[in-house]
Amino acid sequence: MLKRTLVANRGEIACRILRACKEAGIEGVAIHAANDAGSLFTEIADIAIPLQGEGLAETYLNQEQILEIAIQNGCDSIHPGFGFLSERADFAQLVMDSGLIWIGPSPEAITQMGDKMTARITMKAAGVPVIPGEEIDGGLEEVLAIAPSVGYPLLLKATAGGGGKGMRAVYEEENLESEAKAAMREALNAFGDDRVYVERLLTGSRHIEIQVLADKYGRTIHLGERECSVQRRHQKVFEEAPSVAIDAELRQAMGDAACDAARAVNYEGAGTVEFLVTPTGEFFFLEMNTRIQVEHPVTEMVTGVDLVREQLRIAGGEAMSCGDLNIRGHAIEVRLYAEDPANNFLPAIGQLKRFIPPTGPGVRLDTGVREGDAVTPDYDPMLAKLIVWAPSRKEALQRMGRALDEFVVLGCTTNVRFLRELCDHPDVVDGWTTTDMIDRLWPDGWNPDLPAAIADAGLLIASACESTNHGRTAASQSGSSQAPSPFSQLSRRYP
Amino acid sequence: MEFKTSDGRKEIEAHRDGLTFIHGATLVHMGNEIWLEMGGRKHKATAAKVGDTWWVHVLGHTLQFETIEAGASGADDDGGLTAPMPGKILDVLVSVGQNVKAGDALMVMEAMKMEHKIVAGHDGIVEAVNYNTGDQVIQGAELLSISDS
Repeated sequence: MLKRTLVANRGEIACRILRACKEAGIEGVAIHAANDAGSLFTEIADIAIPLQGEGLAETYLNQEQILEIAIQNGCDSIHPGFGFLSERADFAQLVMDSGLIWIGPSPEAITQMGDKMTARITMKAAGVPVIPGEEIDGGLEEVLAIAPSVGYPLLLKATAGGGGKGMRAVYEEENLESEAKAAMREALNAFGDDRVYVERLLTGSRHIEIQVLADKYGRTIHLGERECSVQRRHQKVFEEAPSVAIDAELRQAMGDAACDAARAVNYEGAGTVEFLVTPTGEFFFLEMNTRIQVEHPVTEMVTGVDLVREQLRIAGGEAMSCGDLNIRGHAIEVRLYAEDPANNFLPAIGQLKRFIPPTGPGVRLDTGVREGDAVTPDYDPMLAKLIVWAPSRKEALQRMGRALDEFVVLGCTTNVRFLRELCDHPDVVDGWTTTDMIDRLWPDGWNPDLPAAIADAGLLIASACESTNHGRTAASQSGSSQAPSPFSQLSRRYP
Repeated sequence: MEFKTSDGRKEIEAHRDGLTFIHGATLVHMGNEIWLEMGGRKHKATAAKVGDTWWVHVLGHTLQFETIEAGASGADDDGGLTAPMPGKILDVLVSVGQNVKAGDALMVMEAMKMEHKIVAGHDGIVEAVNYNTGDQVIQGAELLSISDS
């Protein structure tokens, strides 16, 4: 059993983990940079410790400082969340060497899965299908020599990479040399390692991932798939479970492959195995994410498993509590970003003057912000994850549409309307979601479909607000003009 | 009343009847809450002013309307002389009294880790420079003014 856990993260995921700690009777310790003082997650924590220094490297990525805080405050464990230090094997090792519990897989498993080339080789050996392609250890000459055998279109990927950096699609042989040079340059700049590998680019495929859980007692299970094909700039915006493209048979095959992948690296805790699934139903290992993922709530909604709670349980040395896989209904998550979808999804900043999330049956909001907070350029622009559950996919889309219509965010541009239109798009309704769909549907960029009557109504509202000084007057009126509640006088009348 | 929107300037004429604003077939009831009436149906709206901009949420849409003061000279119609978003002034390229031409860069500011040039919308003389290099500015801050010439 864990007693006191330090959460080495911030924002939404820190809130999620700290709440899970509270529910499990574990004390939660937050750490925060100076510009995060007063953020929601520091309020949810039992103890909040300020980090010294400025910038990510000195704060949330500062391994020594974080570990020192954990030790000084009597923590017995560290949960890294996602991003930041979550996939840093050296940090996991440092934590364990200090006698603390690392809530995640072993440093060895992180290393094996973190290096894409090692992961490919390990997976091939474990019998997990991988994308046709070749690992390349040498330089440019080898890339040029191997490309013809892989075939076009092909994808150059940084061996040490992620996040789309060092990644280049090559459609014709004549572009190979220049693209390969660019990919290696980018990889060197981003990761200090210019190795790339070459694989076939599978167009029109779906990005589908399998959630796995493994405990210390030899049990490794999968919790079904998540469909994460709708992406912009290689980042997911719309995720769902289950996937319309997966039937029970394919789910079983992919689930077994994911469990094989996890066992091959002696995996422990929660992890995700990503696959590309072709239109013909073939699937190929992409990578394994050795952490809790942003989109974990959709799996929680359809399986009834609390993944973060299971992470805490497994790390504390207990067996996982979940039984057999039982997928029920349909869940969708959308990521609310502070960004301008009408301007190439560029990040936006501002102040959350109003922030009124939707409520009602089957609606869950995972967020790290509340009304009044400033949205700064210091951190990731994701404001919230809105998740809905409903008995069927159709009803889940309807519920998501309703919830997004209710979602009020004023003072900072967001993608809420983009997400709302996505829910009604025929391709999404029919389940034809592919990784290239946003570019395919809006090749010249997205613009809101705004009916003239609503634009006109908005103008009238703005002018009415301006002429009545709305907001300022409303506040003073509500303070003085309302009659006192009869309940406030009850005790006086009936002492 | 006149507003600046993403589609350009828009003017609105509405008449007021007590707490109700009427524009074509659309009514807005004010008080502590905003209610919109369209096609015989009632919809709740939310609005807030940030800087000079009214943000309005109605029927699932979020709209922005920047107020234009009545009788303004139109000198900053292009919106170029106010800070487009909060950020830091990186460089001031002109000084008071200087002649500038439309399109001249006046200031460089950094917002969202990206550089943004503040450009003159018309020919004129710099009348005021309100910020120095290194200053933090809020969204909508008037950075400079240029005379009409």
